Amino acid sequence: MIKIHLDPRTKLFMIFAVSFIVMVNAVSPTEWAVRIIVTLIPVFLLANEGRYVSALRFLLCYGAALVLLKYCISAESTGVISALLVGYCGIVAQFMPAMIMAWYVIHTTKIGEFMSAMQKMHIPDGISVSLAVVMRFFPTIKEEYLSINDAMKMRGISLAGGRIAKMIEYRLVPLMFSCLNIGEELSAAAVTRGLGAPVRRTSPVQLKLNAADWLMFVIFAASMFLFVYSKYFR
Amino acid sequence: MNDNKLKVKDFITIGIFTALIFVVEFACGMLGFIHPYIVAAYVVLIPLVGSIPMMLFYTKVTKFGMITIMSILIAIIMFVTGMGWLGAPLIIAAGFIADLIAKKGGYKSFKMTVLSHGVFCLWICANYFPVIVTAEDYRKSLLDGGYSAEYCDALFRAINVKTIAILLILCFVFGVIGAFVGKAVVRKHFEKAGIV
Repeated sequence: MIKIHLDPRTKLFMIFAVSFIVMVNAVSPTEWAVRIIVTLIPVFLLANEGRYVSALRFLLCYGAALVLLKYCISAESTGVISALLVGYCGIVAQFMPAMIMAWYVIHTTKIGEFMSAMQKMHIPDGISVSLAVVMRFFPTIKEEYLSINDAMKMRGISLAGGRIAKMIEYRLVPLMFSCLNIGEELSAAAVTRGLGAPVRRTSPVQLKLNAADWLMFVIFAASMFLFVYSKYFR
Repeated sequence: MNDNKLKVKDFITIGIFTALIFVVEFACGMLGFIHPYIVAAYVVLIPLVGSIPMMLFYTKVTKFGMITIMSILIAIIMFVTGMGWLGAPLIIAAGFIADLIAKKGGYKSFKMTVLSHGVFCLWICANYFPVIVTAEDYRKSLLDGGYSAEYCDALFRAINVKTIAILLILCFVFGVIGAFVGKAVVRKHFEKAGIV
């Protein structure tokens, strides 16, 4: 299979389109169809990148939520279990498309590409550097958090302990310590690569929009248009 | 003049703390699906928990613009995660005003920092905007989307045009309280360790 490599700018546009579609609630079948198609594209792209496991996981999760939402819950259902179900399905059906998209973009975009794309779009340095750090940091935070969690479990400070304030403190404070240290290293590395220099930076990555990019542009613009049309003009 | 310009190190600091704040917000946000009243309780939860990274961030802020950039980033992230753009102006305005207040105290005065954190916390209310502005439409779409009538009623009992003023005030009050909590934690852990 051919590997599809998308331009960061296309990815940004896709995120924009998906967030737009996710924000407005889908009611009619057309809208649901648009939403499902828009969700399936990043899943397909993930599989294309060779990340079959995560693609499958997202697909199963989203599918299960949709089925539950369609057949098990109605406006009349009440009680604790349905409230939890509503919670779960609500989260998944509402935010999953945006999450899959964001996950795909974060895991497949190299920071160099991202910065170069931002520079081409004339985004101020402040925003692009900070955003790049945020993007790079989510996996780091997760990793750090998991190891802190392990350490705290060994000490017996877990959710079962019951003292919520202690629990938050013992997790957040070490997390901030390690994040600060990583930040120091990161800024040293960035300065070494000349990020703060007052010259126009060049990039080894040549960004060019190719056929796949245009195809995605068209698909997502069309689905946005279709969504708005069926929502407001009919 | 040159000292007042933001440097790469500052941008990286902003990025790190924005990520931390977002993680806190996300963790609290997940609780909201259990019961709608918890959605209203964000105004208490997020300022209190989020204050710990925020107060540490304030100790790192020395120049104008850092808090504003942070609020812009939060607005972008809120948009990407599907909260909509209705709240974006409020988030950025809150960040900008908080920045001005903190600047007035020279980023050193604790009193100004407390006020500034209170104002900054108003961004949390931006998450309620879609609920309020499009109340009727939103309710209908929630029902159609499969939420139970019970959830909807409770949600709109807790959040409507009347209560938003109270929620805004609560946000500010708990932002101020959170500033003291966060300061205590920062002093206990970071100042003693000599990090700040």
